[in-house]
Amino acid sequence: MASASASVQLSVRNVHKSFAGRGSAVRVLDGLSFDIHERDFVSIIGPSGCGKSTIFNIIAGLIEPDDGRLIYRGEDVASLRGRVGYMMQKDLLFPWRTVLGNVLLGLEMRGVAHRAAVARASEHLHAFGLSGFENAYPKTLSGGMRQRVALIRTLVMDPGILLLDEPFSALDYQTRLYLEGVLKQAVEKFHKTVVLVTHDIDEAVALSKRVVVLSGRPARVKAVHDIEIAEHSPIAARSDHRFAGYFRTLCGELDIQTEAEPSPAKQPEAAAS
Amino acid sequence: MSVITAEKPQGLDGPRAQKRKRALFDTMLGRAFLQAMAVAMLLVLWQVGVRLGIISDFLFGAPSGIYATFLRMAGSGELVADTGYTLFEAILGFVIGTIFGSIAGLALWYSIFVARLVEPFIVAINSVPKIALAPIIILWFGTGLVSKVALAVSLTAIVALIAAYQAAKDADTDLQALLISMGATKHQIFHKAVVPSTIPPIIATFRINIGFGLVGAVVGEFISSQHGLGHLIYTASSFYDLNTVWVGLFVLMLVGFVLYYVIDLIEHLLIPWKVATATHQVQV
Repeated sequence: MASASASVQLSVRNVHKSFAGRGSAVRVLDGLSFDIHERDFVSIIGPSGCGKSTIFNIIAGLIEPDDGRLIYRGEDVASLRGRVGYMMQKDLLFPWRTVLGNVLLGLEMRGVAHRAAVARASEHLHAFGLSGFENAYPKTLSGGMRQRVALIRTLVMDPGILLLDEPFSALDYQTRLYLEGVLKQAVEKFHKTVVLVTHDIDEAVALSKRVVVLSGRPARVKAVHDIEIAEHSPIAARSDHRFAGYFRTLCGELDIQTEAEPSPAKQPEAAAS
Repeated sequence: MSVITAEKPQGLDGPRAQKRKRALFDTMLGRAFLQAMAVAMLLVLWQVGVRLGIISDFLFGAPSGIYATFLRMAGSGELVADTGYTLFEAILGFVIGTIFGSIAGLALWYSIFVARLVEPFIVAINSVPKIALAPIIILWFGTGLVSKVALAVSLTAIVALIAAYQAAKDADTDLQALLISMGATKHQIFHKAVVPSTIPPIIATFRINIGFGLVGAVVGEFISSQHGLGHLIYTASSFYDLNTVWVGLFVLMLVGFVLYYVIDLIEHLLIPWKVATATHQVQV
């Protein structure tokens, strides 16, 4: 609906990447192309090990592609290093830094003056209900709180794109639902573009505007689905009458058998990773 | 009390009572009492053994004699002076060795090329028993304080270097990746991710290295010196003055003991984020 008319923020064009395996090189990405629009919320789903994290690492500038282009707002770029907010399944909070210190990390990298950085970090912590925890060390926090701090750390940098690599998959279901809501609100409040890698189809449908389905290795875009659910909250979205339909379609795309018999050729994605 | 027993099955009472009894001694004071009792028992048995002629006074000394010697030496000030010498040499050697070793080890993180280049040399140096260097070090640095410090440095620096380098290699790469995605430079990664994460393992080597510092100082004093606890022990033993030897040994033990807790304190001050949460151990 909106996706067709929206302008393209990041264009991934024909990206190739292989890794040295035993004997021969393993092709992980083989001409992968997709577009991310301004203020988009795209979920990328695909079988385990299909290269979802690899494309994130390429966008974030952690690894270099063998071939292909990244076009950011019309400009060819090597990577979006310094312009992305990367969040992973592990919260990656620095254990020797307090909550405030962790949130300040990105601003320190940018050389923001300390006082201004603290003011901004405190404001964000307040907005996410973490006032009073500024001086707590990560180990004393619950998993959900730690991931919330990681989200704040990502948002406080005001990144062009949020890259979220299964950020909630280590959390229990209730905490996950709650954080999905927090994420959705934050993204709308700060007008952020989000690319979410998830193995959770349910989460993909509930949060996204679009879902990109990747094929197994080497990864190619198998299909792109627009999710037209108007509900903003992830919980309300789950009770939308179209939710089940999208869910079933995406399961079908991933070759997850809805009947009892599992296919011997392709294993459905394991829940744990 | 009767309410509790009424609610709980009878069988739980036995182990509970036992646990309560253990809890009585499993306190700071209770443990100190038991430890003091153990030491006192040993000393009494020793003294009685000497009195009865079972233990040779000449070869083992006696607690009463050790105590008398201790009072005499402490009173004359020579014990304090000797302890001061040894302590100074050990601490200075420890500090210099740890600082240089740690800095060199951390610096190796910067260049994998240099690290690979020097690795066999580090292994080679590490495989030499550093104590074997003592005679040359005395030749080079003389019989005074410098040679003892140098010996302590040679023992501690390599331990610190290897520990620091290993810790830098082991630093969480995901944290470093996160910083890269934020646009960090190599220097920023080094001082925001690598260095802080190496501090706990480096401090862990302090415990080993403070002991090595003492070893360096005492061995240096054995070989050639006019002062120090090593000198005291060595000369006394050549005169079969076992009581003086024991005084030296007990003071060394006390020094090592105190230094260990000083390092504990330093650890608490330097890494509060680690200590705050690592207090509980699994109880079986």
